[in-house]
Amino acid sequence: MTLKRHIRTAALAATLTAGALGASAQEKEPIRFGLCFDISKSYSFVSPQVAQAAQDLAMYTNDNGGIGGHPVEIIVRDHGNEPQRGVECYEQLKRDGVFIFYFLSTPVTNAVLPRAMKDQTILMQNFTGRGDAVDGSVFEWVFPIGPSYWQQAANAVSFVKGQLGGDLEGRKIGFIYLDYPFGQEPIEILRTLSKKEGFDLELYPVPLPGSDQSGAWSKIRRDKPDYVISWLLAGGHVVASREMRRNQFPIDRYITSNWLNEVDIVNIGLQEAKGLLRTTNVAGGQDVPIVQTMLETYYAKGKGSGPENLVRDVYYNTGLAILAPGLEAARIAIEKHGSPLTPESMKDGFESIVEFDANGLMAPLTVTAEDHGGGGKTRIEQWDGETWVPLTDWSADYLDVVWEVIKENSSKYE
Amino acid sequence: MDLIFLTELAINGALTGLLYSLFAIGLVLIYKASSVPNLAQGGLTMLAAYVVLALARDVGMPLWVAIPLAALLMFGLGFGIERVALRRLAGRPVIMILMMTLGLDIFLRGATLAIWGGTSRSVELGVGYDPLLLGDIFISRIHLVGAAVAIALFGAFLVFFRSRTGIKLRAIADDYMASWSVGISVERGVGLSWALASVVAVAAGVIWGEIQGVDQALSLLLLKGLTVAVLGGLDSILGAIIAGIILGIVENVGAEFLDPLVGGGSRELIVAAVLILTVMIRPHGLFGRHDIERV
Repeated sequence: MTLKRHIRTAALAATLTAGALGASAQEKEPIRFGLCFDISKSYSFVSPQVAQAAQDLAMYTNDNGGIGGHPVEIIVRDHGNEPQRGVECYEQLKRDGVFIFYFLSTPVTNAVLPRAMKDQTILMQNFTGRGDAVDGSVFEWVFPIGPSYWQQAANAVSFVKGQLGGDLEGRKIGFIYLDYPFGQEPIEILRTLSKKEGFDLELYPVPLPGSDQSGAWSKIRRDKPDYVISWLLAGGHVVASREMRRNQFPIDRYITSNWLNEVDIVNIGLQEAKGLLRTTNVAGGQDVPIVQTMLETYYAKGKGSGPENLVRDVYYNTGLAILAPGLEAARIAIEKHGSPLTPESMKDGFESIVEFDANGLMAPLTVTAEDHGGGGKTRIEQWDGETWVPLTDWSADYLDVVWEVIKENSSKYE
Repeated sequence: MDLIFLTELAINGALTGLLYSLFAIGLVLIYKASSVPNLAQGGLTMLAAYVVLALARDVGMPLWVAIPLAALLMFGLGFGIERVALRRLAGRPVIMILMMTLGLDIFLRGATLAIWGGTSRSVELGVGYDPLLLGDIFISRIHLVGAAVAIALFGAFLVFFRSRTGIKLRAIADDYMASWSVGISVERGVGLSWALASVVAVAAGVIWGEIQGVDQALSLLLLKGLTVAVLGGLDSILGAIIAGIILGIVENVGAEFLDPLVGGGSRELIVAAVLILTVMIRPHGLFGRHDIERV
């Protein structure tokens, strides 16, 4: 291990375990995170990586004294992307004393949200669920840390604007999406931005599971949009890449959401994917200090929480970025309010996070009582044939427009 | 809307429809012999694609060896399913057999997830993705290959059903009691139909796996495959081919007009409408036997 890496590791450990009282992490009441995931159906392409990252990070935290001496416990259950099973998982874990939850599924999160609000439990909602939940003044117990799909889409439009000389008037942006709630989520914000910036928005819905895109791409070829923003998943990107080839649409004009990983790139073809653009709030690859730490501390010794190949996947980094703010919130909460950790102190912990990036893992987060999303910063990365190259700095654009839509929607929540 | 674009939508729709036909042929084969729509055909297609990839990637065989070997393995599996799961249901209500195929589908999805995980894998047949140009019309090469495979299979089964074994299967489909009484082994016939449907699943799994990647989503082909089979007539392979082309064109061209009106999602509506209208107006489908009637 190089000296530089030693320093990075020490800094990371300090970030995650500051406040440890020196006591063994096993002596105090554990801080429990209930992760009810879809491990068996639609989201099985991402949930194993996220769960493994969460378990690794908890193990690392515990090996370094826990949080204020409290060990971190990760409880993983399967809900099969079925809202009713998600609600059952929530109720069961709540009975067992868990008050911090994460569901990694929009329909399940939406089903649980009213209960979490009523019960005043902490609902982490990173990358899932309703976009207006970042409004902390309404959704007091919900924390969609990281960019909402609305903010991601707005940031993508801002990138396009920059690429087209700073003016979108008369330009055309296509939006290809899975025709169900996940894919439809950004449409409203794109329509709003279309009116504001004067570009034409063309919508290309694709039925589940995303295998039939021939009609959509034939239309795209005819419409000739300047860029296509994509809210597809997994195999949908592979189909899109082939349709782009067939319709001679340049892949470097195709911007995906954060849900595109190394497996998709391999399936598209490393060279065929060259130029593809992705919006993300998480630094990809293994050169990220926290990922290096996991590889060296556990995987090099065969002690990781799962197979090493899952670590070499951006969804593992995403998993770390999902849990890390939760651990940071718990650390602040115990530092400010002492033990035991309560939903109220955890909420305050979240709302006290300032410029937290887990040592370069993600866009810096500042969470407030008003903004539970942490600022919504993302950057655009481009696949160069071997790795992802950042094209922009972390930024959040059109905040006024996005927040206008957020407020309009959140005001309707009862 | 210009005519060239409409023609392109229709041609690509027809080619996609033939890929649905490729899947639906498996459904028809089993229905012809046992009068049961096989709800596990999606699971079999998915499994077949995984088996091909396991042989090609994990064992290291070239695809041209892996595909026929997988077909052989799936052929055996088809017989095995009849022997282990279905034979003991002989004489029971059809709904029990239907539930068995549904259970089999769920089992196959769970088993493939447990063995190979949920990560999508690609087949890589080596078919180019640059467009094939017919004047101003852009054609997908892999869809063209898939359509050719569907038509080739149709031709092969046309010949097969004129062979001695094929005639026995037709006899079983006509009247299994009479077939029994003249010494035809109905069990073997039903087993053979499952085995052949499993081989068809290999062809469908490889082509669809090349197009969309191999994961659990492959089993979702069942809805469109079933719609094609019902529209064509559940016991007609020719019907499956024609209905696939019709559904593909109607879906692709219809969505172009309907999507702007309803804000997207019209493809699923079109497929559902075709299924409902067929059952209501012509329950035996376009080419099915007339004894398939509404109750």
